[in-house]
Amino acid sequence: MGEPAVRFEHVSKRFPGVQALSDVSLEIAAGSCHALCGENGAGKSTLGKILAGLQSPDEGKLFVHGREVRLDSPRDAQMAGIAMVHQELAFCDNLSVAENLCLAALPSRGGLLDRREMERRATAMLAETGTVLDVGRPFGELPIAQRQMVQIAAAVGGGADIIVFDEPTSSLSQVEADQLYALMGRLQQRGVTCIFVSHRMPEIFRLCDTLSVLRDGRHVATRPTAGLTEGELVQLMIGRSIAEYLPKHRDTGAGDEVLRVERLTLPGKFEDLSLTLRAGEVVGLAGLMGAGRSEFACTLFGLDRATSGAIYVNGAKVEIDSPDAAIAAGITLVPEDRKKQGLVLMASALHNSSLPSLWRLSRLSWIQRDRERRMATEYFARLRVRAASPDVVVGGLSGGNQQKVVLAKWLAMRARVLILDEPTRGVDVGAKAEIHALIGELAEQGTAILLISSELPEVITLSERILVLREGRLVGEVRRQDATQDGLLRMMTGLGSGVGQAAD
Amino acid sequence: MRTIVHRIVGSQESGLVLVVVLVTLALALLAGSHPDLSTGASINNFWNANTLVQTATDASFFAIMAIGATMVIISGGIDLSVGSIYALAGVSMALVLRAMGPAGGATTVFVGLAVCLGVGLLCGLLNGALVVGLRVHPFIITLGSMWILRGIAFVATKAESIIVPTPLTAVVKAPLGLPSTLYPVPMLTMLAMMVLGTIYLQRTVMGRHIFAFGGNVEASRFAGLSLSRIQIGVFAVSGLTAGLAAFLGASFYGSASSGDAQGYELYVIASAVVGGASLIGGKGSALGAMLGALLIVLIRQSIRTLHFDQNYEWIVIGCAIIIAVVVDQWSTRAGARRLSLAREQLKTAA
Repeated sequence: MGEPAVRFEHVSKRFPGVQALSDVSLEIAAGSCHALCGENGAGKSTLGKILAGLQSPDEGKLFVHGREVRLDSPRDAQMAGIAMVHQELAFCDNLSVAENLCLAALPSRGGLLDRREMERRATAMLAETGTVLDVGRPFGELPIAQRQMVQIAAAVGGGADIIVFDEPTSSLSQVEADQLYALMGRLQQRGVTCIFVSHRMPEIFRLCDTLSVLRDGRHVATRPTAGLTEGELVQLMIGRSIAEYLPKHRDTGAGDEVLRVERLTLPGKFEDLSLTLRAGEVVGLAGLMGAGRSEFACTLFGLDRATSGAIYVNGAKVEIDSPDAAIAAGITLVPEDRKKQGLVLMASALHNSSLPSLWRLSRLSWIQRDRERRMATEYFARLRVRAASPDVVVGGLSGGNQQKVVLAKWLAMRARVLILDEPTRGVDVGAKAEIHALIGELAEQGTAILLISSELPEVITLSERILVLREGRLVGEVRRQDATQDGLLRMMTGLGSGVGQAAD
Repeated sequence: MRTIVHRIVGSQESGLVLVVVLVTLALALLAGSHPDLSTGASINNFWNANTLVQTATDASFFAIMAIGATMVIISGGIDLSVGSIYALAGVSMALVLRAMGPAGGATTVFVGLAVCLGVGLLCGLLNGALVVGLRVHPFIITLGSMWILRGIAFVATKAESIIVPTPLTAVVKAPLGLPSTLYPVPMLTMLAMMVLGTIYLQRTVMGRHIFAFGGNVEASRFAGLSLSRIQIGVFAVSGLTAGLAAFLGASFYGSASSGDAQGYELYVIASAVVGGASLIGGKGSALGAMLGALLIVLIRQSIRTLHFDQNYEWIVIGCAIIIAVVVDQWSTRAGARRLSLAREQLKTAA
């Protein structure tokens, strides 16, 4: 192999309060698919951002195809042939796909925008990567998966031969992720070097030929993927061995029925959904994106109003028309998107954790701050939230710790029914294991848990029963011992006959 | 000890307190002095009881409104109608008292205060209800009500200025044992409102809800908060403080007209913003609002005290507002950096 596509030499970067990278030296071979792995806060995203010109290293050198480069802006990176695809990328939601793709050089004729030429160019750019979509649509209307396709097309069209993917699949459904994998395969055939930042083990093993592990800002190892096991990789990432990455499910012996939902319908989202949940039971809800899982959760929590159907808690019918009513009935929801729905990012961890329980922690509206702090400290300790103090601004914490604060906030309500919507999305391995253990513990204490997750292994190991949703309808129920990833996927997609297919 | 120092240095308002103190000291040093007419002793042109109390009095009317408006701003909204609420509350009081005819001092004060607060509260509730009910941005609603409310005051008074009964002036200008040329009541009311506002924002559930609402509406909804109640609440408080300011102002000056407090909304917003409130929401304080108002008045005062050309007043105030906010942003960022560095040094030392 010739000159590596990218070489980092003694790269260090510090942020206020953290040494994000210290003395990292590593090489990424041209044409390879190279994974950067590590827990949240390990520095893998920072490394990616340095490459994309979004951040400059404090020390160290960077070589691209053997030439030393300084990347002080995304523009510099683009000139060096590097592009980045990440979740929250700066594309203009209000402009069309075509306008976004041609933004750097809008074609004009006689001083006026040449719309037809622009759309022709945009379509051609998308075709390069095998993507077909209506380039006249506003970018903001596209589903996340298609937005990424557009980003990739922009990168390739801009002449990039090194593309950094920062957690590209964390908001994608399985099918969409598969499409992305296929696209990455095509890119590799064209000789593009892919750098893949991810937590997800199966993806790393499936896509990448080489991986580099970072831990606490240091480069720990670079290995070929072949011959490495998931267990070994986890061990490299966290620096200690966990006996089991996923906990053994504890059979708790479900108790009395706590929640019964009868034929709940929200037109266009889900129809005729019925289920029961017993005390101490974890029930999984599987389905593709758009299958209606989160919408169902939001309706149970009173954020949307079902047009028909009934909800019973402890056998009594309850009218849930607001989150307030849901909380009063003993139903709480840990929402899907912690940054948008779960947290007030500019407020402290303490104030976030007490937000729903403030009335309980107060007398005549006067907040009893001792009780508030005691409650937060108790739950932060139980969840092992790693923060300097409860008063730190929650936006500055790592993803895993943020998620723990959201969990603390709802655990403190001691609800009978806990709905968890993607409780481990974007959370590092260590925190994930802790959250899994917590779910088991809560069930053991008698909480009825409805678990929504796009990660099938998580659903399968943690749940006693798994309900499968497809296009807003319940298409089957699988007991844990009968559940396989393959079988569930078939039911979710409606392709072929799966295991335990009941309703269809 | 360390925590106390940290809290003071790290608090939002520390920079602003420093600036207010520095401006005051600079004014005292540069103001020069004049001989007292009766005793012949030398008196500083700025650092004397009369000027200081008068400066605080000038600030108090819109500082009180700024404390209420800050709550709207923390919630991510804006209230442009406070000046008009002030005018409407003032003329309502004057009209009611005139219609009522002569009455006892206590009755007059009680009715006057009730009318002002009632009208203020009602206007605030109306703003809030319109924002929530019509789902229109507060800027638009209060831009509209700013003209509507002042228009009502104009029509109701037929554009005349109405005299306010003397018992009111006697109460608001009560010397409270100080020399009779000093009127400390508005200033003390301002301080009391600052304390009340701070308690409301920092220690009550409603106050905490305002910060959550302004910080992230969606997360507040997911936390089960009653969003409409929060939003109506902040406008109600803002209206109420405008009513209180109107009571003090109209009583102090002895009359009310529909032209009162014209342009006050901008002074009020400027005070809140100079006081560290973020127009994006989620950030702000009652103390900051009061200090912001004081700073603006001090700058205005400095033009007079230092005998600068008064024609430049608006230019100077405009520049001061921009500079104050930019400096606040810098110092906040620098403060965060300093704190995190200090924390690390502590860690490495341990």
